[in-house]
Amino acid sequence: MAMKMTRRKFLQTASLAAASVPLSRVVAQADSGLVRTVPTPPGSFVGTETRSSVCEMCFWRCQIVGKVRDGRLVKLEGNPKSVNNGKSICARGNAGVQLLYDPDRLKYPLKNVGERGKPVWKRISWQEALDECATRLMAVQKTYGKHALAVFPHGASAKYPMQFFEMTGTENVSEASFFQCRGIRDMGYVATFGFAPGENVDMAHAKAILLIGTHIGENVHVSHVKSYLKGLAGGAKLIVVDPRFSASASKADVWVKIKPGTDTAFLLAIMNYLVRNNKYDREFVANNCEGFDVFQEGIAHATPEWAAGICDVPAAQIKEVAELLAASSPSVSVHPGRHVSWHGTDFQRMRAHACLTALLGAYAVPGGLIRPKSGIKLGKVGWPKGEHDEEFSLAGSHRFKPPGMPTDNIRRAMVEGKPYPIKACVCWGQNPIQTIPGQQRTIEALKKMEFVMVVDVMPTDITMYADILLPESSYLERYDFIKNGLAQWAPGKEEAVGYVAPRMPVVPAMFERRDQVWITNQLAIRMGYGNRIPVQSIEEMMDKMLAPAGLSLAKMQAMGGIHIQAAKPPYAPATTRVFDFPTDSGKIELFSEALEEAGFPAVPTFQPVPEVPGGYARLVYGRSPVHTFNRSQNNKWLHHEIPENPLWINEECGRKMGLRSGDRVALENQDGIRSRTDTVVMLTPGIRSDTVYMAHGYGSMNPALSVARGQGIDDQSLISRLAVDPETGAHGMRNNFVRMVKNGKVLSIPS
Amino acid sequence: MSQYMMIIDLDRCVGCHACAIACKAEWEVPADQGRNWVRRLGPAQTPHGLSYTYYPGLCNHCDEPACVTVCPADLEEKTFTDSVTGATKTMAVAATWKDPFNGTVQIDKARCLGCGACADACPYGARYVNEEGEEPKADKCTFCMERVAAGLEPACVQTCIANARIFGTVDNPEVARYVKQGAVKLESAAVRIGPNVRYFGNRRDLHLLTTTQTPTVMPEASLRRSLLATLLRPVRKRSLASLGVFGLAGAMALTTGKDDEK
Repeated sequence: MAMKMTRRKFLQTASLAAASVPLSRVVAQADSGLVRTVPTPPGSFVGTETRSSVCEMCFWRCQIVGKVRDGRLVKLEGNPKSVNNGKSICARGNAGVQLLYDPDRLKYPLKNVGERGKPVWKRISWQEALDECATRLMAVQKTYGKHALAVFPHGASAKYPMQFFEMTGTENVSEASFFQCRGIRDMGYVATFGFAPGENVDMAHAKAILLIGTHIGENVHVSHVKSYLKGLAGGAKLIVVDPRFSASASKADVWVKIKPGTDTAFLLAIMNYLVRNNKYDREFVANNCEGFDVFQEGIAHATPEWAAGICDVPAAQIKEVAELLAASSPSVSVHPGRHVSWHGTDFQRMRAHACLTALLGAYAVPGGLIRPKSGIKLGKVGWPKGEHDEEFSLAGSHRFKPPGMPTDNIRRAMVEGKPYPIKACVCWGQNPIQTIPGQQRTIEALKKMEFVMVVDVMPTDITMYADILLPESSYLERYDFIKNGLAQWAPGKEEAVGYVAPRMPVVPAMFERRDQVWITNQLAIRMGYGNRIPVQSIEEMMDKMLAPAGLSLAKMQAMGGIHIQAAKPPYAPATTRVFDFPTDSGKIELFSEALEEAGFPAVPTFQPVPEVPGGYARLVYGRSPVHTFNRSQNNKWLHHEIPENPLWINEECGRKMGLRSGDRVALENQDGIRSRTDTVVMLTPGIRSDTVYMAHGYGSMNPALSVARGQGIDDQSLISRLAVDPETGAHGMRNNFVRMVKNGKVLSIPS
Repeated sequence: MSQYMMIIDLDRCVGCHACAIACKAEWEVPADQGRNWVRRLGPAQTPHGLSYTYYPGLCNHCDEPACVTVCPADLEEKTFTDSVTGATKTMAVAATWKDPFNGTVQIDKARCLGCGACADACPYGARYVNEEGEEPKADKCTFCMERVAAGLEPACVQTCIANARIFGTVDNPEVARYVKQGAVKLESAAVRIGPNVRYFGNRRDLHLLTTTQTPTVMPEASLRRSLLATLLRPVRKRSLASLGVFGLAGAMALTTGKDDEK
């Protein structure tokens, strides 16, 4: 259970973190004539200054304002000038205050004088820390080659250092957002439409919305939720395909309770039905698609009846969905998804999403796939590109990989020294212990390094493996990112508007926390790259980026943090139904020659995934609405909302096992790996009996996390069976199976 | 009186918990307490189909608040002003009362004894005792009257990413529309004290909400404490200006007080 924080303990820890906190007080005149002081908070609107910025509790980047009283941030709110999130921010956004003042935060540069994984920390100066990082990184690169450095970055502040390390000569960069999350989506669409889709479906104006596994509501991105709800309020039909009755399924017109791993078969059957019954947009396809004949032949076998057996879904329901989509065409949001690294067969599924979008003609029309552009041009600032020898590329056969190198190939080089040794590792804002499957192998890799440098805001499980650990300013204490977007659902407006909003400090950084430009430049100077430094400070970087738009930090401050201007709507004129796409053929590639040449299925193809072994259930994970994976777990406000990740078990199945809601269980996977902690059982009819579900990111093991440590189960610790998507090299993480352990007794799942 | 109300539209709510966190920040609520809350309900079977919904709860600012009558603090005269018409009323109140003009239930922290009687009395669990200050004090949702007075929305309403919280007086057209469309109160046969937070949604979600979250008994403390409080309450020395405008609690206390003097 949650560690209760007593008042005394809170005061002790809080006083470590920040300057003294003047409790808000009012003075009341009592009858006695005595003046009594009673702590009555005056509210964030009293006696506060307002400072604008951009959120990074997740990566959607809502525009916010901070309310600051006596130098202390008391509250965060949506920036009332925002045309994107408006005055709303989510639970995490609101809880940014607690990240800022979290007493567990990193404060000073630290040197590990113990061992990796069992650190003993010694406070050192920045001078000493930077000298040691530079010396040891250079030593590794000198001995083993420039490519012997692996970099695991995440977040806006990691971009500048990532480019720096790439410039030094390594390409071995693995971003979790690409190789364990959405990279497959982007590459699947690039291979079809020629561009990455983001989540840019115009749900606000759709007649039908199709979500494959996407669980909006548990997955909270404010303007995205607003767009979705606007669509639903406007009468859009919602179809949710998910083995679980998710937050979205609860609002759906049709819930397809699909067997995990079979979504591609479902999508192929929809397309087969549309083509066979002439219910696709023939004109759009004829004008804009490449290889329709081969495609049609390739999916000819995929009838609804064929898919019904594979997906465990009635053929009638597949037809119902197809009819609904056809009736709503072209105003259909076939949502591209976000975290799509599921089974190691995901590129083909993403291709199917893209092809279905094309068959429905759902492009550049209200409700369809759109390419929003603000029309505001910002400058680019960064390190010069490095020289990378093709010989040292770890891309392997993954010809459709997202930017960076496939994580598993990097890790193999770290563990096995093949095809060459990687001997140093930099983690900047990423926690590979909980982003990458095969936790034990990641730990083995870290232990084999000659040097590990970690930069972060909070302690996480990866920081336990650092040799040198550097404290970074949080998003509320630094400049870094400029949100540049298009809004179409501004309050009271229907027309499109472009906007630009830079992240600006709400309060100055405390202790010895530093921003990414300072840290990187200091390292660069020590590593002999001082002459290539692109900007001397982060302020200079921001101003250079804003300048082409006629903006500057000073102007942005003066205008309340957001610049807004008229923009073009993301729809093509009604008369334009022939487009140029940035693909090889200039058309949407239903059949892809490039894929065929590379030896991959060139028409979207269903590939079966490993079946659930007897006695086990498939472990499926997703988002908690109050957390951004593992990053926010130690936030005491968020922790209080949902302190652990309940294990969803099918009600009937659980009863047969003698389980009741509220029981506590640990998990054991197919390889005999047991979770370090236990969690609470939630029996529900809202999940298939062959599947269990939990929110991702819980169960941290770092003792430095006084709130989060040991709370709930770390799902990543149970994902030991690896699947690698052949086209992209990204991981699939839903091919693992678990049994429950209650009071030390292993319970098998009844079939 | 123009009673303030809140409607929660569960068809819109996505269960993001922003309301709960915004309130914590606005009013410096201890991390493990809440002036409001979100409970996640289901997925569970209902007679109308599967439901997975939420109980975003807060003080109901009831018509007959059980928490007010139990307050053992001294009665004092307090003059209330109607923010719309400027009319005033003077009533004798303990440390917590129901405002005669806007219908909100409020606490005077300076006079609160921190005994927790009110928290025990609320069938909705909407009050807690804040132990983090120099002295313990009862605390709860104020419908953000301080923000409203400054021309702002309640913190939870402002941040709601789904526009699922509709706040206003009974005369507000949107509030009235929801009431007309059948937004429900969480009331049972035993707990019928006129809550002014109402829930709107489909049949499945309302079934799950009302069958699992409606209080079915008044807390025992409510009866015992209120008796105790009225018996123990000392009489005010001052004469009270206008008996006619006393709230129920005030009138009861005054009567009891007179008896005590005999």
